[in-house]
Amino acid sequence: MNEYMSSLMAEVQMRNPGEPEFHQAVHEVAESLEPVLDRHPEYRHAKILERMVEPERVVLFRVPWVDDRGEVQVNRGFRIEMNSAIGPYKGGLRFHPSVNLSILKFLAFEQVFKNSLTTLPMGGGKGGSDFDPKGKSDNEVMRFCQSFMSELYRHIGANTDVPAGDIGVGGREIGFLFGQYKRLRNEFTGVLTGKGLGWGGSLIRPEATGYGSVYFAAEMLATRGDSLAGKTCLVSGSGNVAQYTVEKLLELGAKPVTLSDSSGYIYDEEGIDRDKLAFVMELKNSRRGRIQDYADRYSRASYVAVDRSRDHNPLWDHPAQCAFPSATQNEINAVDARNLLGNGVTLVAEGANMPSTEEAVAVFVDAGILYAPGKAANAGGVATSGLEMAQNSMRYAWTRDEVDERLRLIMKGIHRACVETAERFGTPGNYVNGANIAGFLKVADAMLDQGVV
Amino acid sequence: MDVLLVSSPYDAFVLEEAGELSERLLGEFRNLDLHYPPGLTVVSTGAEALELVSRDRRFNLVITAPYLVDMSAEELAREVDAAGLDVPVALLARNPRELADLTASDGEGSHLDGTFLWQGDARILVGIIKSVEDRRNVAHDTREVGVQVILVVEDNIRAYSSFLPVIYAQLLEHSQRVIEEGFNISQKILRMRARPKIILCRTYEEAQTAFEIYQDYVLGVISDVEFPRGGVSDPHAGADFSRTVRSLYPDIPIILHSSRPENEALARSVDASFLLKGSPTLLKDLRRVMLQDFGFGDFVFRLPDGTEVARAADLKSLAEVARSVPAESILYHGSQNHFSRWLKARTEFDLADALRPRKASDYPDAEALRRDLIEEIDAYRRDLAQAVVADFSPGSADRSVDFYRLGGGSLGGKARGLAFVRQLLLETGLDRHFPGIELGVPETAVVGTEVFDRFLEENDLHDFAIQCQDRDEIEARFLEADFPEEAARDVAAFLERSPWPLAVRSSSLLEDSAQQPFTGVYETYLLPNEGRLLADPVEQTLAAIRKVYASAFSPQAKAYLKATPYRLEEEKMAVILQRLVGSRHGDRFYPSFSGIARSHNFYPAPPAVPADGVAAVALGLGRAIAEGGECVRFSPRYPHHLPAGKDALQGSQRGFWALRMDSASASFREEWFELEAAEADGTLGAVASTYSQADDTLHDGLAREGVRLVTFAPVLKQNLFPLAEVLRELLEELKHGVGGEVEIEFAVDLGAVPDGPHRFGFVQMRPLALARQSEELELGDLPEEALLCRSTKVLGHGRTEGIRDLVVVDFQRFDRAKSQEAAIEIGRLNSKLVERGAPYVLIGVGRWGPRSWLPGFPWPGIRSETAALVGEVRSARPPG
Repeated sequence: MNEYMSSLMAEVQMRNPGEPEFHQAVHEVAESLEPVLDRHPEYRHAKILERMVEPERVVLFRVPWVDDRGEVQVNRGFRIEMNSAIGPYKGGLRFHPSVNLSILKFLAFEQVFKNSLTTLPMGGGKGGSDFDPKGKSDNEVMRFCQSFMSELYRHIGANTDVPAGDIGVGGREIGFLFGQYKRLRNEFTGVLTGKGLGWGGSLIRPEATGYGSVYFAAEMLATRGDSLAGKTCLVSGSGNVAQYTVEKLLELGAKPVTLSDSSGYIYDEEGIDRDKLAFVMELKNSRRGRIQDYADRYSRASYVAVDRSRDHNPLWDHPAQCAFPSATQNEINAVDARNLLGNGVTLVAEGANMPSTEEAVAVFVDAGILYAPGKAANAGGVATSGLEMAQNSMRYAWTRDEVDERLRLIMKGIHRACVETAERFGTPGNYVNGANIAGFLKVADAMLDQGVV
Repeated sequence: MDVLLVSSPYDAFVLEEAGELSERLLGEFRNLDLHYPPGLTVVSTGAEALELVSRDRRFNLVITAPYLVDMSAEELAREVDAAGLDVPVALLARNPRELADLTASDGEGSHLDGTFLWQGDARILVGIIKSVEDRRNVAHDTREVGVQVILVVEDNIRAYSSFLPVIYAQLLEHSQRVIEEGFNISQKILRMRARPKIILCRTYEEAQTAFEIYQDYVLGVISDVEFPRGGVSDPHAGADFSRTVRSLYPDIPIILHSSRPENEALARSVDASFLLKGSPTLLKDLRRVMLQDFGFGDFVFRLPDGTEVARAADLKSLAEVARSVPAESILYHGSQNHFSRWLKARTEFDLADALRPRKASDYPDAEALRRDLIEEIDAYRRDLAQAVVADFSPGSADRSVDFYRLGGGSLGGKARGLAFVRQLLLETGLDRHFPGIELGVPETAVVGTEVFDRFLEENDLHDFAIQCQDRDEIEARFLEADFPEEAARDVAAFLERSPWPLAVRSSSLLEDSAQQPFTGVYETYLLPNEGRLLADPVEQTLAAIRKVYASAFSPQAKAYLKATPYRLEEEKMAVILQRLVGSRHGDRFYPSFSGIARSHNFYPAPPAVPADGVAAVALGLGRAIAEGGECVRFSPRYPHHLPAGKDALQGSQRGFWALRMDSASASFREEWFELEAAEADGTLGAVASTYSQADDTLHDGLAREGVRLVTFAPVLKQNLFPLAEVLRELLEELKHGVGGEVEIEFAVDLGAVPDGPHRFGFVQMRPLALARQSEELELGDLPEEALLCRSTKVLGHGRTEGIRDLVVVDFQRFDRAKSQEAAIEIGRLNSKLVERGAPYVLIGVGRWGPRSWLPGFPWPGIRSETAALVGEVRSARPPG
């Protein structure tokens, strides 16, 4: 890290004491941006990074409410309005006891670049409260949400700041928050995303991340004149992301052969076809059974139980061309990465958040395969939030196919941004660098254009 | 009751001759269906008597002749008193001449407890025994039970000696009839003890005092016309006393008797019946008047002019007849307090008290009075029947009973718990506390432990069962063995009148005692009890009972008992046949939901505290919960605090247990069905929510599209059934009743009919084993490195020496999905260590419990008695 970056980090730490999570986030971004700032003194000159690490606005407020026993409870509410250079602040609300200023600033800072990468006009923000909706009644959650919004409503708006859900804030909470906002403002606008389908929500939300990562993979293959058709794909997980990854893979002619859950995985050499996928969806979504049942149902498939004493995950040790880690973080270690390469895998697209360990990422980057970091490959989720905003502004709702098509175009746009940026900064084909830098550039340029604000 | 008769051998002989004395006594008491008829011992001298009474404490009464060879009756009584023996001594004179010498011998200052005259009728013995008994018990019994009193005022020994036996005979005959209405032996004994008592007064002053003391309990007065007042014989005493009584209680019947016919007018003037002493039909007349006036006979419905319109012999027929007799008759008897008097004479004090303060004028018309009367009687009879465990008799047609014992012996722990709950519900009125909810113990018959004993004995199975270690072999032998014939007949008769699915459960002697929870050690079987074409329900039931018997000797049960202070030989099985709460849906039978609730929560989530208790419920039969399957846990205090959104997907019920009605299989077990079946049956809506993936929202009910989840939101949040409230109140009452923490199992059926009653049935109640040493423990400062493990939450503390082994479930490597396998392995280690008798420390993940429905190890064989210290590691989930 050069002197400029070191002094920036020192300044950040001094000005933001007791915020270790935030320090770390800045540190990571600074590291990946070093070559950019070296090549572009105009950013340094305009103190773009110094401005970026300072939130445009932090709202911290009291959220008093009365629980079912009649006791008064006091929680703390936050909204970090980090950066609005390219669009209204956008980012989730998190209700969890662990919520504090440091964590929210960390998340808001990352959100700025994530949103920017989607190519949609969305700034970055994050908010929430140390309130724990777990173990609370519906009424308590409602009273809390109403109190929370009774303050927050002054600071947000469809053109100002558009919060979404996050941990602890699902459809129920978004509903309560939206209701109170509408009542206070006396207007029905797209001030929150993640709304119910009947009142402003968008289609394709559960599908977005899975579909998106497949679209991204297709774009990567296209750079080599290839396509997903006929490719054997390893998919981990069996939740939303994995299910819709498989669905889109089938649509594009690929052959997914694995799925997993916390107790083990199945390998179906013949491929998981539409009927089998329908069985998995029924199994996982309605019956909430174990993926093992797949092997009981389809005798040609094999089931392997999780064995934590192993140093690797055998799911990644089958012959294939593509891998879609869609389960959880750190599911691919260095051994798995080498197994993948050894089996002929030339594409890894991360549907999950940080599924590959640092060492595994290094293995992929060194081998020069098509590796799409989660930051880029799973941006489909964030993108649909943007699409919900767009539909709300138009007072119009797209069909499934329309939203799906927009999603495809967005993923295509993200891919192009990554490829071009990677190339521009001398690491062609390095999607990690491309993703890290592309998000920054768009925001930085906008800030330059808008003057010192 | 043992009686010592002290008389010359001759007198004794005369008595024996006259009435085969002991036979007579025996007969009198046998009629009362008592287990202990009195014995009669005869000695001839006072010294012998004294010696015997002081040596042998079984004598409750001494009846003596006036003069013995070595002392007088008075002297004997004095000696008995002086020796500090609390045995009454009564004098029985052989002829009036002996009496003449004895004037005032049992008056003031006498040690005798009564003086009687032998007149050739051996029933005088019964009169003496009863009279002495009454004198001793009257104060207590009136005060405690509200027992009624008949005042007999008579100074003539000869007179009362002749009619006391008649009155008693009448009383006993009457009680006999009333007793038969008792539902079991103990109720019968209670009724026997509650028969009216007789107080014999010999002077105006005595009568006056007795009346003052017992006026609230006086059923009737039988009085001489002339008896001593102020020390002299007063011809007006009887009339004056009658007037005193009348002035306070106009409705107390009075019988005056006299040797002068002219006193009849006097009797009339005080509204009393009259009996002529010299009449040859005196005793017959006395009997008639008592039947009529004291309510000892049938209840005779009359019109105000005295015309008889109907009769009722017992409570049941009283309610029946009351429906049809003319209104004016009801009005007449109501206004005269006849109902309440008749009931009191029949020892139905509660009901009598309920009816007595009501005047006919309290009601708008006779029909209202009639309705109220019938309702009171019916409700009372129902309570009476419910409050006790009735002995089953195939012939009995009484449907108000719903808790029987078949065969003799103990009910066993589980059934005892149920019987207790049943009584508690009635006493506290909780059974009717919640409108629209039938709350109670489902119809139950308990096959007593004697049947178990007989089964083992008749088939010579005992030694085999104790020695054999092969579960299947034991079961096979038991299934082949003959079932005791009489018990089999009773079971068949019970099934005949219980045409609904039954659960067959163990209720062993040791089960559910406060210290030893045996949950899950013995099996439960379910029977459709239907479809005679498929299999004979009686044979099926008997087979299920045999299987429960066999499970008492299963290796698992043997291993379990080994870890307790009990011996297998001490264990006896009663078997519960209980109506299964639920409704039939096509070929499935199951309740809307089942559950377990505890008054104490070991792991409360804030804001709940341990005393708020905890409950777990699941759609369908309760096996899901008992075996630690998916269910909804909630705090009865905070029923609205339920998982929301995606969290609800985790660990929510995926299917349910139900009884297949069309199944011919002999497994007698419930079967597993997918939730779709419940939705098709229409039973899912009451307990479900829908998760919408597109909205990431959990919607209560089934109105929206999405994944169906059993959340119990309609019950707990929308109060479709006030489950939380019911549980709160029940647990509170039971805690009081048991005097400690409790656990209950229950099933609720909302019924197949929309507006029909909801049923809440108790399946089990047991005290919660919660060993907690109360003293504070001061550990002081301990070096970190000396600690093996530490916790801020412990269930009691203690000191155990000689621990050498440590069994630890590796918390880091523990996989919840494999807890079954882990449990089996621990079980193996456990039995090894138990065999060695070595206390050891067991540390695992989650909660240890007998097939716990709380998260953790489902291993019924492991209890803290086996392991010296049981540690529970709880996984701390890092915030996401």
